[in-house]
Amino acid sequence: MPGSDKAVVVEGIRKSFGAVEALRGISFEVGSGEVIGLLGPNGAGKTTMVDILSTLTRPDQGRAVVAGHDVVGDPAGVRRSIMLTGQHVALDDMLTGRENLHMFGRLQGLNKSEARARAKDLLDQFDLVSAADRCVNTYSGGMRRRIDIACGLVVRPEVVFLDEPTTGLDPRSRQSVWDLVSQFKDSGIATLLTTQYLEEADSLSDRIIVIDHGKIIAEGTADELKERTGATYCEIVPRHLEDLPAVAKALGSLLPDQNRSALTESADRVAMPAPDGPKTLVQALAQLDAADIELLDIALRRPSLDEVFFALTGDTPAGIDERAAEEGLS
Amino acid sequence: MIDTSVGRVARPAPSTIQQWWVLTTRGITPTLRNGELLTQVAASIMFTIGFYFPLKQFMGVYAQGMSSYAQYLMPLIALQAIAFASVSAAFRSATDSVDGINRRFKSMPIERLTPLAARMSASMYRCTVALVVALLCGHMIGFRFYAGLVNTVGFCVLVLLIGAALSFLGDLIGTASENPEATTHLMMLPQLIFGLLSVGVQPAERFPSWIQGFVRNQPISQFVYALRALAGDSTPGAGAVKWSVVGPAVMWMVALIAIMIPLHVLVSARRR
Repeated sequence: MPGSDKAVVVEGIRKSFGAVEALRGISFEVGSGEVIGLLGPNGAGKTTMVDILSTLTRPDQGRAVVAGHDVVGDPAGVRRSIMLTGQHVALDDMLTGRENLHMFGRLQGLNKSEARARAKDLLDQFDLVSAADRCVNTYSGGMRRRIDIACGLVVRPEVVFLDEPTTGLDPRSRQSVWDLVSQFKDSGIATLLTTQYLEEADSLSDRIIVIDHGKIIAEGTADELKERTGATYCEIVPRHLEDLPAVAKALGSLLPDQNRSALTESADRVAMPAPDGPKTLVQALAQLDAADIELLDIALRRPSLDEVFFALTGDTPAGIDERAAEEGLS
Repeated sequence: MIDTSVGRVARPAPSTIQQWWVLTTRGITPTLRNGELLTQVAASIMFTIGFYFPLKQFMGVYAQGMSSYAQYLMPLIALQAIAFASVSAAFRSATDSVDGINRRFKSMPIERLTPLAARMSASMYRCTVALVVALLCGHMIGFRFYAGLVNTVGFCVLVLLIGAALSFLGDLIGTASENPEATTHLMMLPQLIFGLLSVGVQPAERFPSWIQGFVRNQPISQFVYALRALAGDSTPGAGAVKWSVVGPAVMWMVALIAIMIPLHVLVSARRR
């Protein structure tokens, strides 16, 4: 790529669908070998951003360059340089795992023996040898995701886009996807991954970009963001639901007004930042004990996406209820 | 997983012909093992049995002076087989759209129309199988070609062209709807209505007078007239091969395809 070590350059990208502004002036860069996490709720514009970078959608305004190729001026060049894994596994369900790998190898221009050899390699590396000759519609969710990603690796990509790669996966499969992202990094491949999970963005990314309503609302390393959102949260669940207002009262100044006003009638717990970690928890426990409130659980945990948004915007993110509903269904 | 899964395979330049062929075989391979091919064969046999045996006794009389009811019914047997094949094609393209594999192809170095071309060639394989099975079924009940080699080839080509047009239509509906089940129903119903309200089973005069105009002029009937003439008969009842008989069928197909091409362009260019 002439004169640039940036794998992805995005400048002032805007995109509307009818009256809906999906992206409202997004700019960022990804260095080669860098892993960027695009964090945001459903409807924030993450997938639209990935679609533009993988030439599936044209931006209305702005410029985006992937692996040295402009997404509008040279989409063919972009397509030769990327691998895209969408939210839904995109395979031929009627073919076996091996046949899918072979097909994608051939589509990428490998000859038959190269494609066959590459399929065998990838089946080995993705731990799918025993399932290789079964139709992929019999695979588990984790296996489907693994073969889906493997199909994108029949030839080496310069830039990898992973759109919510771990949604709906069990912890073990999630871990294997995470391991893979580390390998991309070690091989100097730039990775842009979108996620709704702070934990995921945190453990994988060099930098995190938080977007909401089509705009970047925060950008930085995981540590930088956590400083802004409060490193730890303390969650308190009373044994009796009707004690909830009493809990809020007993916590006094420990519970910031923001979190206090966020307590709704349907809430079953109180969550608050714990700036001093365990000390905050001990203090809260002492105050609740003094108020004679029986607890079911009290624990420290990392801030959830809701709380990141809460801290960054003072507002609940768009579509978070929607997302909860979707997760309930799947 | 070990640390070489990324690989060092250099990126070759993909050839469009190779991609087309790979995607075509992708459409064909599963039909050999998921029962689609068997279903196609069974459907043609069932249709032949289901129409020929119950109807030949009391319809045969009205077969417009043709030598046998088999000779009369053959065009509709072939058309039903082709229509059935095009429903399978529609189901496949709808499945591709809903599974997201089309989206993936669009992000790969594949020309925009290659997947469509490959789906069409896989459909032509289905149509060829359908035609062969239908002709075998027809042969069993006594159908024969009488009009010479050129017209026999013409019969086969016309059936395959109709199959291509129907598959193209099915592909359009499937891709646009992104719903395999709905697509199948959408394709089945007109097939049944146009098939039964056609001159394929009985002459137009046997229908109530208010619907005869529709029966006589709707496309399936026009296809039947053309195919019947191309197949010929030992009697003159099949009609002569001339433009006034074959022309309308050809015009219907040209019109159908002319309408569908811009719609296909529209659907494949569509953004979410």
